[in-house]
Amino acid sequence: MTLLQRGSALPDRRMRVRTTVRQFFERHAPPGLTWWHTFGSALLALLVVQALTGTVMALYYTPSPEHAYHSAEYIATAVPFGRLVRGVHRWAASGVVVLAVIHLLRVFIMGAYKYPREPNWMVGVTALVVILGLAFTGYLLPWNQRAYWATTVGAHIVGTVPVVGEALRQLLLGGVNVGVLTLTRFFGLHVFFLPGLLTLLVLFHLLLLIRQGIAAPPKGEFAEIGPGDYWAAYDAAKARGRPFYIHAVRDVVMVAVVLAVVALLALRLGLPSDGPADPTDVNYVPRPEWYFFPVFELLWWFKGRWIPIATVVIPVVFLLVLFGLPLYDRNPRRAPGRRPLAMTAAILVLAGSGYLMYRGATAPQPPPARVAIAGQIVAPSADTTGPGLFENEGCSACHAIAGQGGGAGPDLTRVGARRDAAWLKRFIRDPAAVRPEALMPAFTDLPEATLDRLVEYLARLR
Amino acid sequence: MEEHLGPQPPEKGKSLPRRDALKIGGLAVGGAIAAAVGVPLVGAAVGSALKPTTPGWMRAGAVDAFPKGEVLLAIIEPPVDMEWPALDAKMAVYVRNDGAGGFTVFDMHCTHVGCPVRWVQTSQRFFSPCHGGVFDSAGRVLGGPPPRPLDRREYKVEDGVLYVGAVYRVDEQLQRIA
Repeated sequence: MTLLQRGSALPDRRMRVRTTVRQFFERHAPPGLTWWHTFGSALLALLVVQALTGTVMALYYTPSPEHAYHSAEYIATAVPFGRLVRGVHRWAASGVVVLAVIHLLRVFIMGAYKYPREPNWMVGVTALVVILGLAFTGYLLPWNQRAYWATTVGAHIVGTVPVVGEALRQLLLGGVNVGVLTLTRFFGLHVFFLPGLLTLLVLFHLLLLIRQGIAAPPKGEFAEIGPGDYWAAYDAAKARGRPFYIHAVRDVVMVAVVLAVVALLALRLGLPSDGPADPTDVNYVPRPEWYFFPVFELLWWFKGRWIPIATVVIPVVFLLVLFGLPLYDRNPRRAPGRRPLAMTAAILVLAGSGYLMYRGATAPQPPPARVAIAGQIVAPSADTTGPGLFENEGCSACHAIAGQGGGAGPDLTRVGARRDAAWLKRFIRDPAAVRPEALMPAFTDLPEATLDRLVEYLARLR
Repeated sequence: MEEHLGPQPPEKGKSLPRRDALKIGGLAVGGAIAAAVGVPLVGAAVGSALKPTTPGWMRAGAVDAFPKGEVLLAIIEPPVDMEWPALDAKMAVYVRNDGAGGFTVFDMHCTHVGCPVRWVQTSQRFFSPCHGGVFDSAGRVLGGPPPRPLDRREYKVEDGVLYVGAVYRVDEQLQRIA
């Protein structure tokens, strides 16, 4: 026996290392696995990357309002490789959400959530919710403007839950406003509680995967198969298949590609920062991160007492429908071509959330307003030209002209081509009288001469 | 040789009182441990978050800094002797001098989803940059989706200085509701 053999026999005799490794890599997978099957491993790799980069950043990061922003900046500017580490953590966070959704879609399209893998679908959807929780709590930690205001808006959205909303909001924030206790709370959740929970869920997810095997692609006998025939067909398919390590090569390639993309994004696009959190900045325009755009944009359609439909009912019902999918979809058909209803629903959901994300990403932003601060002398702007009035009368808070202004009301870049001066004047004085469904407030207090100048300007925009 | 078989499983339908007692006892002790560990942990995690807090009075500025009839932004900072964690809660409020020693202090967050509202002096309105909420100079909703008027804050005047206190909500008639 060579020394090497003796050395490797030592752990194997005691812990069955070789046997376990062999069982894992040499077990057979059913034939027909594709590149689409690699997104789960790529997701797992990114989660490991998040744990590692997060742990390194925890060596420097300080969760207090005085130090959070500067310690995060310190990581990015002074720590060797810090810009890469923090950048990767930030971009991989988006990558985790993207890969989780692609992985979920693959499982959905291939009907892999059906017997016997229903429990694992539910574990996966639960893990996705925890991932969104990690994304939300992690977003606050750099303590910059976008972090502070996204959390303020997120907490207000929680506050719209009927009856218990305000209690939930305070429970989340650790107080009435986003403050020091919010930061320590989110830090604890982001660094200890949620990663621990996610680790348990992922381990359970993988344990079930190894126990049940990779789902056979929905072709041939697997295009439609019920529980009664499943295991015999699956075992036969596995016997025809190749060992797992042959497929694992594809996984490794995908992991390499994903890591390269994340590193490239981190180095090229870096870390967006708009200065330390300033709770007193009234000119900041809060925006959520892209994966929360659907909820933020749904708020355009539900107003007043209907707000909880957008903030609570639609998201919660959607998650429950997703979670419970294998409970109500017990159809033995697995091939996507034989599930027109499921495929149509998936396309509608994807198109809908894609549209909302596009809207959120391209929403115009109002320019900063000149707000008078107590103790400072701010002369009101004397600009009485058309563009000046458009600014000073608050029009630009909701309307854009040539890309400048808010997105709440219609774009007025070419409003003169659509409406004449008389119509515009009547509308601005009392929008509801012209169009009962208009949301714009009436400007009855606007002096006649001012309104005339404003309308003259607007009518010339063609 | 007589075989020693150890305790036998009970016949079907019969139970052994001793085993039942052990099962129940084991579960009871386990439950007590879980409660003894869990209650303090959950209690500490919820913490003071749900306790109604009475923030101290925060200085908004000298009364003279607020000309009558105007709405101005004021930065409020807690006094240095205020107990932690209020120390960090630097905020902004809008103050309107109503005359005769009366003030209205508005919370700066839109009542829709909390975006900061801007006061536009010329048009005498508050605008939210997020979903088009518009409020008048009394905080009433003029347009857009906000469900209620701007929240307000308690205030007091002492030695010519305006101090700002807790946030409360008002209904459409501007009457205090919470």
